Amino acid sequence: MRFWSWMRSWSRAILRRSLLESEMDAELHFHIEAFTEELVRSGVSRQEAIRRARIEFGGVERVKEECRDNIGISFVVSFLQDLRFALRMLRKSPGFTAVAVLTMALGIGANTAIFTITNGLMLHTLPVRDPGRLVELLHQYPGEPAFNGFSWDAFRTMRDGNHVFSDLIVDSLNVIAVRADKLQPQTVFVGQVGGTFFQALGVRPAAGRLIGPEDVHTGDRSPVAVISWSFWKSRFDLDPGIIGEKIVVGDAPLTIIGVTRRGFYGISEHARQDVWWPISLGPSSGMWYGLLGRLKPGVSMEQARAEMAVLFQTAIDRPDVDPFVRRMKLRIEPAGNGVTTPLSQMLSTPLTVLMATVGLLMLLACANLAGLLLARGASRQHEMAVRACLGAPRARLLRQTLTESLLLSLAGCVVGVFVAYVAAHALIRVFASGRFVMIAPVHFEALTKPDAHVLLFTLAIALFTGLLCGAVPAMSASNTAPASALQQGSRIGESKSRRLFGKGLVASQVALSLVLMSSAALFVEYLSHLRNLNLGFEREHLLLVTLDFAHSGYNAAQFSQLSQELLMRLDAIPGVSSATFSSMSPMEGPGSASFASAEDHPEKQTQVSINSVASDYFETYATPFLAGRDFSARDQAGSPVVIINEAAARDCFGNENPIGRFITLSHVTSTRGENTYEVVGLVRDAKYNDLQQPAPPTIYADLLQQGYTGSEHSQLAIRTRMDPDGVASTVRQTEAAALNTVPIVRIMTMSEQIDSSIVPQRLIAMLSAGFGALGALLAAIGLYGLLAYMVARRTHEIGVRMALGAARTDVMRIVLRGALWMVCAGLAIGAPLAFCGKRLAASLIPDLPVAGSLPILVAAAVIITVSLIAAYLPARRAMRVDPMVALRYE
Amino acid sequence: MDKQLDLLQGTLDMLILKAVSLGPLHGYGILLRIQQISKDRLEIQQGSLYPALYRLEHQGWIASEWGESENKRKAKYYKLTVAGKRRLQAETENWNSMADVIAGILGTKPEEV
Repeated sequence: MRFWSWMRSWSRAILRRSLLESEMDAELHFHIEAFTEELVRSGVSRQEAIRRARIEFGGVERVKEECRDNIGISFVVSFLQDLRFALRMLRKSPGFTAVAVLTMALGIGANTAIFTITNGLMLHTLPVRDPGRLVELLHQYPGEPAFNGFSWDAFRTMRDGNHVFSDLIVDSLNVIAVRADKLQPQTVFVGQVGGTFFQALGVRPAAGRLIGPEDVHTGDRSPVAVISWSFWKSRFDLDPGIIGEKIVVGDAPLTIIGVTRRGFYGISEHARQDVWWPISLGPSSGMWYGLLGRLKPGVSMEQARAEMAVLFQTAIDRPDVDPFVRRMKLRIEPAGNGVTTPLSQMLSTPLTVLMATVGLLMLLACANLAGLLLARGASRQHEMAVRACLGAPRARLLRQTLTESLLLSLAGCVVGVFVAYVAAHALIRVFASGRFVMIAPVHFEALTKPDAHVLLFTLAIALFTGLLCGAVPAMSASNTAPASALQQGSRIGESKSRRLFGKGLVASQVALSLVLMSSAALFVEYLSHLRNLNLGFEREHLLLVTLDFAHSGYNAAQFSQLSQELLMRLDAIPGVSSATFSSMSPMEGPGSASFASAEDHPEKQTQVSINSVASDYFETYATPFLAGRDFSARDQAGSPVVIINEAAARDCFGNENPIGRFITLSHVTSTRGENTYEVVGLVRDAKYNDLQQPAPPTIYADLLQQGYTGSEHSQLAIRTRMDPDGVASTVRQTEAAALNTVPIVRIMTMSEQIDSSIVPQRLIAMLSAGFGALGALLAAIGLYGLLAYMVARRTHEIGVRMALGAARTDVMRIVLRGALWMVCAGLAIGAPLAFCGKRLAASLIPDLPVAGSLPILVAAAVIITVSLIAAYLPARRAMRVDPMVALRYE
Repeated sequence: MDKQLDLLQGTLDMLILKAVSLGPLHGYGILLRIQQISKDRLEIQQGSLYPALYRLEHQGWIASEWGESENKRKAKYYKLTVAGKRRLQAETENWNSMADVIAGILGTKPEEV
């Protein structure tokens, strides 16, 4: 009630100011005239009556001012005055304004960009019923990424045995090509869902019906599909006859029975699902069950974790379960903001590191702006003194200076939002080169969408920094004793504390930039270490082509003949030295796993990865043979043979010679049963998944001997004598001519493939290097600003010194020595901080090379160099002071 | 005429609310009414009336509209709002009990302590 009457009178006062003023005027004059009339009626002469009425009433203007005060508008009015004045002051010194706004814009922009992505990835709430009580179930081998996909037995045990979930929701997320009559094939996220999925998430249909318990049963599933509203709109143009249409998911022809309500996209905002179909139940379905739970009311996360861990253990602790699987541990995480995806797993560490980095950068930018404002405040002491003498209260002066710093930070905020927009889009391009992301239609707009969270965050840091860097300079500026300031004119000496504070600001900028630069140097060193690791194969001059044989229709004999032909044609291309086929290529990702045992030790099982390769594989990748021979044409009809790497030889045979021995493979991921192979070759270890991990024990099988017909991502590798991109188009044509039913999924160089496996490390190195350079630049600007200001103030003193016989080099030395002192103090403060930062980074990123102190030394050297350059300009100006001019100037 | 009394601090608002509770009045009318009721025993600074009126309107206790005065001139009339009525009642009660207490204290004789 009262609030509304305040708002009413304020809005009237601000928006209809002139009306208010004229009404106030009319009202007061009416009073005076009415009183005059009464006096006249009582017999006073009119002239005398007017005089007496005015005296009785008092000062009209003073009354008006009090009226304005009483409705609170004088605050607004004086704020507008402050704003106008601040704008005028900033316009008067465009150089200062540009530097200050740019500093703020870079700080705020960097923070907003990183926060936008963090927000998009982790803080958006899913548009489903009661998202706060949703959790996801994950399991994890020690030291590997967690994943959400459980066996039928584990699913059934946890579903039937738990008392903590009101629902155990099934949604297995896949990336599958989808096609229809009116639809080009395209890859989308497809959810295979249980019967309670839509009902448990509270999703309603926009058309038709959704998948329910009646569609999900043991054995064959109902051939039905539900599509999302956005898919309906973008692919079918909201065709009302969509219900009953056919759609092919992978190889399965399905009938569309319904469309979900608008805005529903499944359980991850960046991995948006467009098609759902029922999952089939039962032990023989071969399905992996992706699981979400809804906590019962009153059940805590800890209770759920405790109970489910026990259930999971009983489900996997059985002799018929693989020993490898039995080492898995269950994890339960909140899922209200979306489930864990390869993208969120890839980015969570880099975002943490980068959030800390941009936080430091923001502090640095604040210190920088505070330093600039302080120097400016000191040069405006005279003006402040005059205003104080004319009766401005201290609070008013304080408000005036704060208005200026807030204005600067808000202007920086506006520019910063643009910086953030550009930066976030640039970052997305790096994410998109990630290994897991390349094959999936990730919805990147979700990561760059600035929502209310982001805008509030940006505004909050802008206000916070505006106040932070304005407070001390404002206080010191308004604290001037007017008498002394006016008396001494422009030559007033600075107070010792203020001088110290200014130097402290520069030192703290140096310290912060040391932390930024040394961590950047550390991350860059780490990245270059990763890029130069010995991988067991030659990474340069290697072109990789991924082929999709899923719809080729070849049998084993055709595959064998056509692939041989293709390899021969590729070999003939000028610039190509050799070419090969394999089921996977090094650094492509985790391959298919199996268990191997030496023939005479069947009880000792070693986990190995399996790669089916053509002959010339090792020649093409330049992986050296240590013993034995390559596959040959004779093997195709002969007894089964394999080539193994050093790690496999060590694990299966110890120090004995493996050549001529036999290995038994028990295939876990395929159903081929057991097979025994003769070892004919031993090759050097090569890395397949993770640059930081040692190469896995690997068994190479003969592709042609295996009756291989190609998979949806078979790997063709071409070793070139020139830049591999140069032969890409010829390779593309040759492939199309030789295998016309086999599309190329993608072509990339080995270097790109390696880079796609280290996106997090590249991101951290790239951005921290950028932020480190920015930090050094800001510190240099801060130092330059302070020195230039000090030299300008000390012109007189320098003139005196020179008149008394100081040489120009002496003057220069004084300035440079002062600068070096500040820098050294900053380095001394920064070194322990940088050390702490290193420890912190090491706790987030395993095997970071934290032992050496080279990064800190490099950073310190860079900072000293940059500082000397920044100090040289003011020093030169000091040196050129003409004593005559300087002394006469007074 | 008795000697005029200076207005106690903070009582002007209460008097204005009381004056306009008897019917809509313009600023000068409020002054006249207070003087009339108090039989000219209260001294009110004419200028101080208006800041008080603006404050009361800002708080939402009185509302104003332009009307015509008794001698056909445009004048701003104030009247009590519902919130103002409640406020006046509360202030009156408060004042009465306060006056009782003060009077009680001031009327105390030595033997009563």
